[in-house]
Amino acid sequence: MQFGVFTVGDVTEDPTTGTTVSEAERIKAMVAIAVKAEEVGLDVFAQGEHHNPPFVPSSPTTQLGFIAAKTSKIILSTATTLITTNDPVKIAEDYAMLQHLADGRVDLMMGRGNTGPVYPWFGQDIRNGIGLAIENYALLRRLWREDVVDWEGKFRTPLQGFSATPRPLDGVPPFVWHGSIRSPEIAEQAAYYGDGFFHNNIFWPVSHTQRMIELYRKRFEHYGHGAADQAIVGLGGQVFMRKNSQDAVNEFRPYFDNAPVYGHGPTLEDFSRETPLTVGSPQQVIERTLTFREHFGDYQRQLFLMDHAGLPLKTVLEQLDILGEEVVPVLRKEFAAKRPAHVPDAPTHASLKAAAERARDLETIVEPAGSVEETSR
Amino acid sequence: MKERVIAVVTAGLTTPSSSRLLADQLAAAVKDELSGRGIESRIELIEARDHAHDLTNNLLTGFPSAELEKVLATVAGADALIVVSPTFSASYSGLFKMFFDVLDDQALAGKPVLLAATGGTERHSLVLEFALRPLFAYLKAIPVQTAVYAASTDWGPNATTLRPRITQAATELVAALQHEAPAQTVDPYDNPTPFEDLLNS
Repeated sequence: MQFGVFTVGDVTEDPTTGTTVSEAERIKAMVAIAVKAEEVGLDVFAQGEHHNPPFVPSSPTTQLGFIAAKTSKIILSTATTLITTNDPVKIAEDYAMLQHLADGRVDLMMGRGNTGPVYPWFGQDIRNGIGLAIENYALLRRLWREDVVDWEGKFRTPLQGFSATPRPLDGVPPFVWHGSIRSPEIAEQAAYYGDGFFHNNIFWPVSHTQRMIELYRKRFEHYGHGAADQAIVGLGGQVFMRKNSQDAVNEFRPYFDNAPVYGHGPTLEDFSRETPLTVGSPQQVIERTLTFREHFGDYQRQLFLMDHAGLPLKTVLEQLDILGEEVVPVLRKEFAAKRPAHVPDAPTHASLKAAAERARDLETIVEPAGSVEETSR
Repeated sequence: MKERVIAVVTAGLTTPSSSRLLADQLAAAVKDELSGRGIESRIELIEARDHAHDLTNNLLTGFPSAELEKVLATVAGADALIVVSPTFSASYSGLFKMFFDVLDDQALAGKPVLLAATGGTERHSLVLEFALRPLFAYLKAIPVQTAVYAASTDWGPNATTLRPRITQAATELVAALQHEAPAQTVDPYDNPTPFEDLLNS
C-alpha cells in the first residue's frame, strides 16, 4: 500500500498571525514538503493544478520536474491534472518528459476541475466537462500507446500523422487514476480502462464515498479487469496531530474555522464526525484511517492533505515527521496484515514495465492458448 | 390503497408562527380530503428553522449532515408537498429558499405541490404567483391552481374567507396526487451509463 501527501497549493492567510506567504514562498514550501515526504518514508507526493488565485501551481510538470531532481524514491503524482481544459497532446508530452527525467517515478490523477470560469479561459465550457474528460482521455491514451496517431473528435483540432514526443519511458505510459467526487461517469471511465479510481473523500461523508467506490469496483469487475476487490482504489485523508489530542484541537481550530471550503460553516467537531477529518493524537489518526478499509475495502493508495488553510511550513513539516515516524509505519503493518493475498498493489512504472515485457514474451510464443498460459508462469 | 405521504415544509421563525398555523390547517385539510376518498395518509412536518444551521453548512460544504439528509430524503420520497413561507422583502424568506437550494434539483419533478405563504398584510399575497410559483415550476413540480395566502386578518375578521381557500387548495392537491404516478427516481450509482455509450455520445 502506498502512503503519501497531496497539496492543492493554496495561498491562504494564516489566521493566527494575519500573515500571508508570497507565491515564491508557497511554491518553495511545496518543494520542501515533497522532499520531506520522501525523507520521512512516504511513497507519493501529489500536487494540484490550478489557473486561478489563490492557488499557485499552474505548471505542475515544472514543479514536479524540479522535485524529481531533489528526490530519488518518491512517486510524483497530480491531484489533479485537468483533463478537460488542458490539451491532451500537451499532457501526453509533458508527462512523458517528466517520466524520463524522474526515471519513471510518475503517475497522474485526472480530474475535471469544478471552477466554471477556468473553462472559457481555455476555450471550453464546463457544461461539456464529462464529454471533455472522456474524449480527451481517450486521445491521451492513444498518444501514449501508438507511435503515429490519426485522430478526429469534437473538442480539438484533428491530428494527422502525429507522434507525441518523447515516447513514454520504456514504452510504458504512466499509470492513471481518475479522481471524481460525485460523477458516476468518471467511476465508470476508470473501471472501463482498468485504471485507478481516487475518491477525494476528505470533505464528504462515508456513505457517499462508499457509493462511488462500490460503483467503480462493480464496474471494474464487469469490464473484466479482475474481481471487484482487486480494483485500484485511492483515498484522501485530512489530519492534524499533536501528542495530546486537546493540543491538536486547540492549535488547529483557528485554521479550521477560517479555512477555504468549509470555514465559517460546521464546527470542527461536526465536521470531524461527518468527514474523515481527524484532529487529535497520532493514535487517533491511526484508528480513524484503519476504518477506511472497513468502509471501502482494501485499497492501494492513501494520500493525506497536510498543508492547506494557511498552516505555516514549519508546522506542516512537524506534521510530516509525526506522520512518517508514528502513523504510517503502524498503518503499513496493520493494513498489510489484514489484506488478502489476491489484492494487488497499485501499479508502478516497474510493475507496468514487467507486465509489458511479459505480454511481449507471450506474443512471441506462437502456441495454442492452453500452453501459452503455462509458459507464462 | 397504499398510504400516501404528504411532506410539509414550513419556514416560519417564531413559535408559534403563522406559517406553521397555516401549514397545520392545510395538512389537516389534505388529510381529511384523502380520508374522505378512502386513502390513508401520513403527514411529515418539516420546520426549516430546525435545520437552519445544517442548511447553511450544506451550502458551504456541499453535503448535508446525516440528519438533514434524512429530511431531504423524506421530501424527495413524498407523494405530494405542502410548502409555506413567510413573506420577507417582497419574496419567500431566505431560509425557505435555502431548503430548496440544497434539495436535489430533480427531487420535486412531477410532484404535486400546494403553495402557501403568510404575511402581515394581504397586499403581499401575489408573492405566491410571482415568487413561489416560478420557483416550483423551475423545479418541475406541479403546483396546484389555488395557492393560499394568509395575512394577519385571516386569523380573525377574514377567517371565514381563508377556510374555503384551504379546502379548495387541498381538494386540488388530492386530485393532482391521484392523477400522478409516483415519480420515478433513477439512481445513477446503481445503473451507470455504460462507458461505450459515453464514448459514443
